[in-house]
Amino acid sequence: MNKKSSKKFFLTILIIVVCFISISGVKLFKGHPIWAVSTQMPHSKGSPHASIKIIEYMDFQCPACANGAHLLENFIKNNPDKFYLEVRYYPLEMHFHAMRAARYAECAGRQGKFWAMHDLLFKQQSTWAPLLNAEPVFGEMTKTINLDPKRLEQCLADPTTDSRILKDKERGKAQEVKSTPTYFVNNKMLVGTVNLEKELKSSLK
Amino acid sequence: MNPVVLIRIFIGLIFTVSGTEKLLSPYQNFLYVIQGYDVVPAPLDEWVARVFPWIELMLGVFTILGLWTIWALRGLLIVTAVFLCVVGQAVWRNLPIEKCGCFGELVSIPLPTILLMDSILWIYIAYLIIRMERTSRCSLDEYFSK
Repeated sequence: MNKKSSKKFFLTILIIVVCFISISGVKLFKGHPIWAVSTQMPHSKGSPHASIKIIEYMDFQCPACANGAHLLENFIKNNPDKFYLEVRYYPLEMHFHAMRAARYAECAGRQGKFWAMHDLLFKQQSTWAPLLNAEPVFGEMTKTINLDPKRLEQCLADPTTDSRILKDKERGKAQEVKSTPTYFVNNKMLVGTVNLEKELKSSLK
Repeated sequence: MNPVVLIRIFIGLIFTVSGTEKLLSPYQNFLYVIQGYDVVPAPLDEWVARVFPWIELMLGVFTILGLWTIWALRGLLIVTAVFLCVVGQAVWRNLPIEKCGCFGELVSIPLPTILLMDSILWIYIAYLIIRMERTSRCSLDEYFSK
C-alpha cells in the first residue's frame, strides 16, 4: 500500500468515526425521553401504582389510534388491575378535524365524560373523519352522552381548552413523539399498535 | 464550480440530512414508518430501522466529500432503487400511508410525489456515475489520485 492509499484509508476510518461520535454525542446530550404521570387532571384509567403504566399520545382522526384504543380497551378489560393508562392529546396538523375533536373530548372531560366522548369519537371516526364539516356529528355525540350544551359552548370558546391540548402536544414533542399513536409502556417508547400489542403480550407473560 | 459537482454535493446533502434526522430521533419512529410499508418481515424491521439511517448518512457524507465517490454513488443508486420499489408497491397496493417518512418529520410528502422525486433523483445519480470524470472534480478522490 503506497503512502497516498494508506492516507485515504485512514481518512475513511476517521470520517466514519467522526460521524459515529457526532451522532452518539448529540443523542447523549439530548438525553432519553422522560416518562412522568401527569399531575394536573390527567385523562386516565386504572391505578397509578399498577404494574403496567401506559402513556398514550393520540390523535382522534388517526385510524391507527382508533385501532389502538380498541386494543387497549380489550387488554384493560381482561386485566383491570394490571394497567394504568394515561391519554394525552397529540393532534396532527395534517388531520383537519383532529384539534376540534380534541376540544370536544376535553370539554366532555370537564363535565366528567372524557372517556365516553373518547370512545364515541374513535368508534365513529370513519363517519366524521371524511366530512368537510364534522361539527354536526360531534354535536350528535354530545347529545348521546348528555353533555350540558351551555357549558359545552362556553368550554369550546374558552382559550384554556386549546392551551390544555397544546400543552399535552408540547410534552409529547419533548418526549420526541412524532407520530400517532405513540405509547410509553413503563418508560419504553413504542410507536404504532403492532409494537404495542407485542409489548403488552410479553408484559403479561 | 462545475454544475455536476454541485449536483453531487446536493444529492449527498439530501441523504446526509435524511439519515441524520432519523438517527437523532428515537429509532421507533422510523420503525413505525417501515412497518407501514409492509415489506420487511417482523424480526428484521427493527434491525433495518437501526442500521439503514447509518447507511444513508455515510453514503451522503462520502458523496459530498467525494471520497470513494463511485462506490458511494453506486450505493445511492441501489438505495434509491429500493426506495422506488418500496414506495411503488405501497402506491400499487393502496396502503393507508399518509406521508412517506423519508425525512422523518422534517417534510411530509405524499407518496405519488415522492415516487416522482425518487425517479428524478435516480436519474441524476445515474448521470453522475456516467459522467464520473466530471463528478469527481473538487473531491478527495481527485486529491488522492494526483
